[in-house]
Amino acid sequence: MNVMNQIVYVVEDDEAVRDSLLLLLRAEGYSTKGYSSAQSFLEEEVADLNGCLVLDIRMPGMTGMELHKKLLELGCALPVIFVTGHGDVAMAVEAMKLGAVDFVQKPYREEDLLEKVKGALAMDAEQKEALRHKEKLRQKIESLTPRELEIMEMMIEGNANKVIAIELNISQRTVEIHRSRVMQKMGTHSLAQLVQMVLAARS
Amino acid sequence: MATVDNKAVSKLSRQDQILLVDDNPANLKILYETLDGRGYKLLVADSGEKALSIVRKSHPDLILLDVMMPGMDGFEVCRTLKQDPATASSSIIFLSALDDTDSKVMGFDAGGVDYISKPFQVKEVIARVETHLKIHRLEQQLEARNRELQIDKASILSAMSEGIYGLSRRGEIIFANSAAGRMNACDEDSLLGRSFVQLHFSQAENPEGENAFDLDRMTERLQRVLSKNEALRIGNALFTRPDGSVYPVAFTVTPTARDDHATHAVVVFHDTTDEIKQAEELEAARQSAEAQRSQLAHISRLSMMGEMAAGIAHEVNQPLTAIVNYIRVANRIAKAEQLDKALMDETLKKIESQCLRASQVIQHIRDFVKKPLQGKEMLSANTLARDILELAEIEAKEHGIELRANIEPSLPELYIEPVQVQQVALNLLRNGMEAMGHANMRGAVKFKVAQANGKGILFEVTDEGPGVAEEHQNNLFSPFFTTKKSGMGIGLTLCQSIIHSHGGEIGFRPGESGGSTFYFTLPVRNKPVGKRDQPAESAQ
Repeated sequence: MNVMNQIVYVVEDDEAVRDSLLLLLRAEGYSTKGYSSAQSFLEEEVADLNGCLVLDIRMPGMTGMELHKKLLELGCALPVIFVTGHGDVAMAVEAMKLGAVDFVQKPYREEDLLEKVKGALAMDAEQKEALRHKEKLRQKIESLTPRELEIMEMMIEGNANKVIAIELNISQRTVEIHRSRVMQKMGTHSLAQLVQMVLAARS
Repeated sequence: MATVDNKAVSKLSRQDQILLVDDNPANLKILYETLDGRGYKLLVADSGEKALSIVRKSHPDLILLDVMMPGMDGFEVCRTLKQDPATASSSIIFLSALDDTDSKVMGFDAGGVDYISKPFQVKEVIARVETHLKIHRLEQQLEARNRELQIDKASILSAMSEGIYGLSRRGEIIFANSAAGRMNACDEDSLLGRSFVQLHFSQAENPEGENAFDLDRMTERLQRVLSKNEALRIGNALFTRPDGSVYPVAFTVTPTARDDHATHAVVVFHDTTDEIKQAEELEAARQSAEAQRSQLAHISRLSMMGEMAAGIAHEVNQPLTAIVNYIRVANRIAKAEQLDKALMDETLKKIESQCLRASQVIQHIRDFVKKPLQGKEMLSANTLARDILELAEIEAKEHGIELRANIEPSLPELYIEPVQVQQVALNLLRNGMEAMGHANMRGAVKFKVAQANGKGILFEVTDEGPGVAEEHQNNLFSPFFTTKKSGMGIGLTLCQSIIHSHGGEIGFRPGESGGSTFYFTLPVRNKPVGKRDQPAESAQ
């Protein structure tokens, strides 16, 4: 279950709530890390974290809401599950609009929270996987020579070898050699797949 | 009281009268001629009997009285005159040929002032007459003056509302004014001759020992006044009346300085029934005001808790959340193939402590809103500050405001109604937080408790809000003044009333860098020892 060293981060000022939640998550087999304030969590390299964040919305000093906004600024894509008291639903809705994954209300049912944590971790894994994939593609694209890149662009636009040869004022045979290099470097045989890869890398 | 004696006064201004008494006409003639033309009015009598009748009619200032007369002799005339107060004031000089010491002594014994031997020298007669007339005049003046003083004294004493006794060396009442009679519900003369202590302190009907001055103690105290000249002042005693009834008094017993006086001490006393009644009414009014404030404070606490409901719910929810989590954990531990006993113990302990935490929050709130029946008690300022902070934390979390406490350690104990003082502090703290919340300002509310130099304990709340507009600063503690949309305007007024009832001060000053500082002080004082104050007593 715990692919890629995912950690459930818990930011909660109330020591008992934090301790009990960490115990519960550990019993469930998750790796966890607890923080007593928003500020102490920000000491982490937040952009590099894997897993999800269980965040108390109401804390002295920096609130959960403020921390969430700050994380978005810092490029942290960690899925966030807000934990709210009663009467904080309006706040929770606002948080959702800003991209929080979900929220649970205190005192919560264990199943609700665990399910949400599971969902958030899956989402994170997916996101991270997509990112890694994209990164790989980008590296492949970067390995192309300028001429190969130029020819690949024209291929994606759907130009035949002949059209490319005329356009670049080179022989059709040369185009064919470049073309096979591009396919080789990008690791594919199908033009359709190449198009998809380039679009994904640039999304 | 008697009016001024007109006869005595008129006598002072008239021509001096001299009565000459001798059975020998020749002697009478010589005397007459000797004194005639010197401005005296001269009267003559040739026998004792005639002399008596003239004296009774004319009251001469001076009588020259022959001793040897047929019928009534001079000594007898003199004794008769001196025995009758109406005639006793005339001065008498004896005239006699008897020149022996015995007869002179007899003359003085009979009441004469001087003695002239026959045959007399003219100059001697004139000189003695003038001297004795002068003495007589001075005596008359003195007597008149004395009478005036007596009358003045009597009218002053009878006009006084205080009761006054003169006491003899043995503590008997030898003088009582009319106020004394009035207070004792009897004729003042009937008090004369009675022992002051026996009269007022012999009644043993002070069941609760209210009259700390019983017969024995009072006898001893009075003895000290009479023998050692120590004054006695008692502010709170009971006198028994001759009819057996009792009334509360304040009294002083002052020794009179002179030994040759019949009065050895003066008692001044007054009935304190009305004063006591007024004091009781005042106390009743004070208690009723106290009860009303207490009631109002209670209502205000209830409403404050209502306003804090959200925060309180959150405060109870926290341990509940933790408890639910721990229980799930315990469940898992129980279901595991290998029971981790240590972890289970630890988890159960955590559950227990969270249950206690929740119940403490509830207990704290219950204490805060309970009916006002607890009254004042001794409580350390540190405990008080801690209780205040526990409730204030709830509100601070609710407003997302930091609460920064600065409590001096080892503060003394205060004699206070703890809940009411908590209420005042919480009110000020909440005001600060609300002010910051409304202005969407973040920051901290500071709560400081410290010894104020010489003024007891200082409690200070400083916020970082927008501060109090200058035009409102003077109205802060006025009833029904509020700048809040949903306020009644009684919060600070009530705070002031509570703090004043504790003998403290409450006030406001603008913060140094914006914001406001509200503060109050409470005096450090010990719990009064008993309810009833000891009788006020002092010996000077």
